[in-house]
Amino acid sequence: MGDVILTMKGIDKSFPGVHALDHVDLEVKKGEVHALMGENGAGKSTLMKVLTGIYSKDEGTITYEGKEVEFSNPREAQDAGIVIVHQELNMLGHLTVAQNIFIGREIMNGKLINDKKMNEEAAKLFEQLGIDIDPKETMSRLTVGKQQMCEIAKAISHEAKVIIFDEPSAALTEAEIEELFKIIRDLRDKQMGIVYISHRMDEIKVITDRVTVMRDGGYVGTLITKDSTKDDIINMMVGRVIYEDPKTESAVPKDAPVVLKVEHLNAGRMVRDVSFELRKGEILGFSGLMGAGRTETARALFGADPKEGGDIYVNGEKIEIKTPQDAVKHGIGYLSEDRKRYGIVVDKTIAENSTMASLEHFMKGAFIDKKRENEVAQQYVETLKTKTPGVDQLVVNLSGGNQQKVVIAKWLVRNCDILIFDEPTRGIDVGAKSEIYQLMNELVAEGKSIIMISSEMTEILRMSDRIVVMCEGRKTGELDISEATQERIMHAATLRD
Amino acid sequence: MEKIKQNAIVKKIGFNSLVLLCVMVLLYILFAIITPMVKVNASFVSYARIVSALKYAYFLGFLSLGVTFVIATGGIDFSIGPVMFCAALISGYLLTMKGWPLVLCLLVCILVGTVFGILNGVLVAYAGLPSFITSMASMMLAKGIGSVFTKTQSVSWPQSTDANGWYRNLVGIKAGNMEIPTGLILLIVGAIICAIILNKTMAGRYILCIGSNREAVRLSGVNTKRWETLAYIICGTLAGLAAIFYVAKNTTVLPGLGDTFNNEAIAGCVMGGTSMTGGVASIGGTLIGVLIIALLQEGILAMGFQINYQYIITGLIVLVVVWADLRSRRKRN
Amino acid sequence: MTDKKQGNAFTNNPVVRAIGVQKIVVVIVLIAMILFFSAMSPAFRQYSTILSIMDYTYYLAFLGIGVTFCLITGGVDLSIGTGMFCYALIGGYLITQKHTPVIVGIIVTILCGLIMGTVNGLIVSKGGHAPFLATLCTMMIVRGLGAIITGGSSITWPGATAPNGWTRTLFKMDIGGTKVPLGFLWVMILAVAMSIFLNKTRPGRYIIAIGSNKEATRLSGVNVAVYQTIAYVISGVFTGLAALAYSSAFQSMIPGGGGGIELNAIGGAIIGGTSMNGGSGTIAGTILGVFIMSVLQTGLPLIGLQANYQQIIIGLVLIIAVYIDVLKNKKLA
Repeated sequence: MGDVILTMKGIDKSFPGVHALDHVDLEVKKGEVHALMGENGAGKSTLMKVLTGIYSKDEGTITYEGKEVEFSNPREAQDAGIVIVHQELNMLGHLTVAQNIFIGREIMNGKLINDKKMNEEAAKLFEQLGIDIDPKETMSRLTVGKQQMCEIAKAISHEAKVIIFDEPSAALTEAEIEELFKIIRDLRDKQMGIVYISHRMDEIKVITDRVTVMRDGGYVGTLITKDSTKDDIINMMVGRVIYEDPKTESAVPKDAPVVLKVEHLNAGRMVRDVSFELRKGEILGFSGLMGAGRTETARALFGADPKEGGDIYVNGEKIEIKTPQDAVKHGIGYLSEDRKRYGIVVDKTIAENSTMASLEHFMKGAFIDKKRENEVAQQYVETLKTKTPGVDQLVVNLSGGNQQKVVIAKWLVRNCDILIFDEPTRGIDVGAKSEIYQLMNELVAEGKSIIMISSEMTEILRMSDRIVVMCEGRKTGELDISEATQERIMHAATLRD
Repeated sequence: MEKIKQNAIVKKIGFNSLVLLCVMVLLYILFAIITPMVKVNASFVSYARIVSALKYAYFLGFLSLGVTFVIATGGIDFSIGPVMFCAALISGYLLTMKGWPLVLCLLVCILVGTVFGILNGVLVAYAGLPSFITSMASMMLAKGIGSVFTKTQSVSWPQSTDANGWYRNLVGIKAGNMEIPTGLILLIVGAIICAIILNKTMAGRYILCIGSNREAVRLSGVNTKRWETLAYIICGTLAGLAAIFYVAKNTTVLPGLGDTFNNEAIAGCVMGGTSMTGGVASIGGTLIGVLIIALLQEGILAMGFQINYQYIITGLIVLVVVWADLRSRRKRN
Repeated sequence: MTDKKQGNAFTNNPVVRAIGVQKIVVVIVLIAMILFFSAMSPAFRQYSTILSIMDYTYYLAFLGIGVTFCLITGGVDLSIGTGMFCYALIGGYLITQKHTPVIVGIIVTILCGLIMGTVNGLIVSKGGHAPFLATLCTMMIVRGLGAIITGGSSITWPGATAPNGWTRTLFKMDIGGTKVPLGFLWVMILAVAMSIFLNKTRPGRYIIAIGSNKEATRLSGVNVAVYQTIAYVISGVFTGLAALAYSSAFQSMIPGGGGGIELNAIGGAIIGGTSMNGGSGTIAGTILGVFIMSVLQTGLPLIGLQANYQQIIIGLVLIIAVYIDVLKNKKLA
């Protein structure tokens, strides 16, 4: 490790209603790989966005190569030598590798682009990195891993001095990760400063020199990797006091019937051989880190995305789910993590949204019985305590929590027995949160069963009777609430095969 | 301004429709003043002119009502004009050359429209083709099929004095020197039925919701493909119906034409407050929009200008209205 | 992780990949079509057939080259067919009615294309309109404009033997009694030039990038609006060139005509492998696709299928071509 190249000190950033970064520090030295760790929503990405000028900071200083800097957009940061290799790739699939690397700054030969020279330069970059990619290959024909390598090559071609890897290994195979690590070590030897954001504990141990841990937007501490254990880091990540009472034992009777059984569900690379059971009156928590395949599992189960294989049994009977229609017919309702895109129709009324999944029950001959529709919607507005002047209010005018209640109402009107809550409290304020929790408890008390996908550890521990943990598309753990702890869940969530 | 918008009666009718009504009245007054100034011995204010404008509005109105359903889903149908002509050609040919009974021919006329609606709907909803290119392709099909059927001959439907001429009473009944605009009554009845379908039935509800957020509707367990197809079928069927009102006004149909009416129908629709991005539609607005287009074309003719000005004006109207809609949406987000 | 490297020995062959599978298939289809027509019709086996195919190829190729740029950005230009007629009408009107020098008429024709292309580009890139709707509106506008400027009468460009008929020899030269399709040379030169422009210059590169991923292109510091506009300007200028080619081959045009020709050109481009989704397309492919269209237009009448059948066939070809494109994109996703 050499001199300090980048120092972020006391970085503070607030968004309306959220204190995203609370005086965070980060120091990166030349020739080190510095891990940035934390649970989902700990503020890692926000910190990096502040660094590269996507967000402006409220307080604090950034010192880069001895000078205080403030970038106003990613291009400025790039020109100064700070480059992010993104998780979602900013690639142009139709162009070649070399064309992607040099987009916006093509090497010219008079008025014409000198593709030959660009291919040579790209080849040199790849040679330097020791990777085998044909610069003339079309980008979309490469594997995700290779595409990532191209992003790295692009970053290096900017003469980067600090490279930030945002969960680079999330989509890579074992062999590709090896290759990636080799490149990162090379870059380190060339005295670059590297920030490595990842959830994977074993990787952190292998590749990084120091670890900075963040939690809930705050700075927890920095460790030297080789002097610390995996448990030290996990403890720092989860060390928060849980204010709400965690559930200590399952409320589901031992002999409660299994209402939903999923066996060997497979769908793409994010759902690999997932099996589980859901009992009547149970809240089954699905825990895991970002990109663990939980939402994908739910969508495949619900028929929203095609699946390659797997058997689904509802109340012991094997059923075929090809489309959401099939799922709804068998009494399954799905509350998406992305309400605005998949849950509600924002420019329609509460009443219209509430009956969306069960309109056939509100027909009087050929016509919609609007009176009854309004009555039923009103009834659910009251039971769910949705705050609205009336059921003819457009959903767009409601707050996040109340919008969520409208989606819940949609499935309750349909009288679904199995409900999949995907991140039920995301973007919802604290008061509305506990209302949603109470509501979920009431629902299971009535004999409904809930699958709850959540990235919030406290939510998982407070609500679930049993917990399924996923990692990279596989089920890596199943815990009864009585034996579940944050550490055990986090262990399973970082368990790679 | 806000006060007017919040008024109960205004809300019921819709502020946009009220503005449009005012535009229509002003346009009428404008033409009444300008026409004698532009063209010597011409006048705009006469019952005959109103009847003439209305007759233009009938067939255009049915086209526009139909395409309102498609635009409500977020799609577009550029085949309606040629489909109308194709329907009129096929059924007219069967009536005049093959001697089929009139009632049967009128049914065939509507049915031809329905078939094209099914074709468009299936290609868009099930095969996943973009609606504009699909409907342009079926526009070609409609033009081709119509002229192949009649062997590239034009078809003249019977005059009102002819044996089979009673269908003309659908647009107007001569009572002495006056003509009772029966077509207006039928158009309004048609619009009311469309408004009921759009606002009171399951089909209308899902069509509008698909236009707003297709994925949310699909994830509610709704067969979105079926309802989307239905929108195109309604559109096609109404284009077939429009054909009857077209021949009742114009008698003769030429093969290979009809595409100018697409734009006028779409213009009437977007003027009436139906959003090109889908999800928002107003049948009442469409109706008034169509009346304005009809008035415009009557005014242009009355002043002795070429009908070509109409094309330019409709093009500009659509651009401006859609731009305003895009802008207000961007502002809200 | 080789899941994206699908295909078989044939499609992965470097020569096949360099040319493109689709283009090879198109060439085979083209040859098959020529053999079919030759077998069916003795008239097709004559030298004059080549001249006739070329007459259709010239203007379709120019339109096709232009619209390929719009398609690659992920947009479309529907105004090209009607636009071509409009510009040819205006240019021809100046030459024959206003007796301007021919060169002035030619320049004005191309200039009209340039202006309308710029208008289209700005409406799409700055106004945020959906390309199909924007260009449909301008299609209406040019339709009216052409007719109004010529006073509603058709225009006939000077004949080959007329004193100022040299424009015709630009495309078809008489050398010792044999007519030589000289225009093919110009088409080839421009195709090569535009191919270089598309693949070897910054604007071309950015046009492809915009169609591939507009946001990523913007984040790379590229002024997306400018290059999007350039695509429509190119389409406009080539529509002007097509107007010259058309008037040289067919001499006269009626006002308000040309509608539907854009579908031949768009169809040709899509057959040649240009995607409706943007990001991919080649000029060579478009030229090959256009040949399919022009061979159809020449061959079909010779086996007894007149213009009306052609419309049906072209409609079907379009649907199939777009459907293949949709399937191709599904496979990639």
